[in-house]
Amino acid sequence: MDLALEVKGLSKYYPRVKAVDNISFAIEDGQIFGLLGPNGAGKTTTLRTILTLIKPNEGQISVKGIDALRHPERVREISGYIPQGLSVDGDLTGYENLLFYARLYHIPAKEIRERIREVLEYMELTDRAQDMAGHYSGGMLRRLEIGQSLINQPRILFLDEPSIGLDPGARRMVWELVLRLRKESGTTIFLTTHDMNEADILCDKVAIMNRGKIVIEGAPEDLKSNLGGNILSIESLSPDCPAYLRELGQVLETKDSDHICHLIVREGEREIPHVLDFLRGKGIAVESVSLSKPSLDDVFLKYAGVRIENGDALRSVRRERRAFWRRSS
Amino acid sequence: MNTGHYLSTMWTMAEFELRKLRHDPLPVLIRSIQPALWLVIFGEVLGRLRGGLVQGYDYRQFLAPGILAQSVMFIAIFYGINLVWERDLGLLNKLLSTPSPHSAIVLGRSLAAGFRSIFQALIVFVLVLILGINLHLSPLSILGTLVIIVLTGIFFSSMSTCLAVLLHSRERVMGIGQALTMPFFFASNAIYPIEAMPGWLQVLARVNPLSYMVESLRVLLVTQEYRRLLLDVPVIMFATVVVVFLSARLFRRILG
Repeated sequence: MDLALEVKGLSKYYPRVKAVDNISFAIEDGQIFGLLGPNGAGKTTTLRTILTLIKPNEGQISVKGIDALRHPERVREISGYIPQGLSVDGDLTGYENLLFYARLYHIPAKEIRERIREVLEYMELTDRAQDMAGHYSGGMLRRLEIGQSLINQPRILFLDEPSIGLDPGARRMVWELVLRLRKESGTTIFLTTHDMNEADILCDKVAIMNRGKIVIEGAPEDLKSNLGGNILSIESLSPDCPAYLRELGQVLETKDSDHICHLIVREGEREIPHVLDFLRGKGIAVESVSLSKPSLDDVFLKYAGVRIENGDALRSVRRERRAFWRRSS
Repeated sequence: MNTGHYLSTMWTMAEFELRKLRHDPLPVLIRSIQPALWLVIFGEVLGRLRGGLVQGYDYRQFLAPGILAQSVMFIAIFYGINLVWERDLGLLNKLLSTPSPHSAIVLGRSLAAGFRSIFQALIVFVLVLILGINLHLSPLSILGTLVIIVLTGIFFSSMSTCLAVLLHSRERVMGIGQALTMPFFFASNAIYPIEAMPGWLQVLARVNPLSYMVESLRVLLVTQEYRRLLLDVPVIMFATVVVVFLSARLFRRILG
């Protein structure tokens, strides 16, 4: 398999923080690759560095065999990009938003019309093309943004938190589009997300990032099955509970103060009674018990020691989107 | 670098600015209220001063080119606010992820601001006609005026781009922009002749690019002392080239 993207020893330092700390990874042609991690993990910085928007302090980046540090404009020519936040201008029509980027990608004048028509059709925006983008719904806006990123028929597509701030329907629509795009045109897709569900559904391969470092990478299925069983979550107010559970098997370390311990068990249903009897024997009162299949969040918990927080980011992007509506209405 | 791509990028930036203006011309109309008030109230009152503020001309004739330049400056100097806004939204990241040269994008945006200024100027022109202020209007003087207006728009919007890169927030660009308009405007020949100023202020007025912009407009539209343009135009060109160059150099830093 050919490599679509190869990153070696990439680092980006800011005055007070190592945003990206010596990371390396590779994506095969036609793969959907996800960089998964909490806010501030360095995902967006990594993406923008690959896309030549930010100069790294150290490291090598090769996109489809092109050295990104030496030929940034050639990388940009074959890349599509959907930034976090907005990339549509609400003061222009849908058609004009596409035309604008068609020009900036230097698409030959005689091909522009046809290219835009195709994109509008693909995104099902043909009959709304002449409306101001500021009057579009959230889902249509996202479709237009995806359309913009396809106007130069990119060979690799970069999506920064593709479904953040969208309602569930629009989110599913984005996922379907991404999967369809890869299926129909074999486009390599690089995305960042803090949503493990999204990573699970879309990605062939994920790299989990925390505090500027990649803590583990692999196919979502492999990462989950490597945990070695199901997750038994036990809620107990007793501070001794984790210590006793460790005698039974592997406990996922957590810094959260929610009084819940996560024990990895091989045969969940059968082991619940044993675990409860064991704890009762030690004089530990149990408030509740639940059994679940391991998620990428559990994988993250195992390797990073915390859960992926997400409340804040969603709220701030929603705020931005709302501010945009106010401006354009 | 491909010159064709470079120029087409610049043109695209300017063209889409005009498209936005066509979709919604209201902001430009609203912004013409201020220059109208200057001409109607300030011009009428000061024009009645005994002895007159300027010799040989109606004061309103003297004031009109000053207000023309001022109205362009007042808009263009806040151009950077848009830039910071677009950066915060993500639009700017998208724009810079295209293969178009970054400096062409900056230059194109300045050119766009210059084009926008033309519409601003047209409205002031209409006001001048309604108020019956007598200006020298020939094809050449109008063309010259448009060129100076565009250069003025480019100069102040590029300055604003520099401010946006250095100051990083909309509030700060707004604040500093407002603080700058005062010295630019009052330490210039826009509303009174330089000769009427105390010596120290005259020095400031003579290094103020706005003075040269106002004077060249005044030459074209009122006095027709064309030899003054021999100094004015090179000064304006030089000042514009310097800030445009600076803004193009600084621009990359806006993404942080």
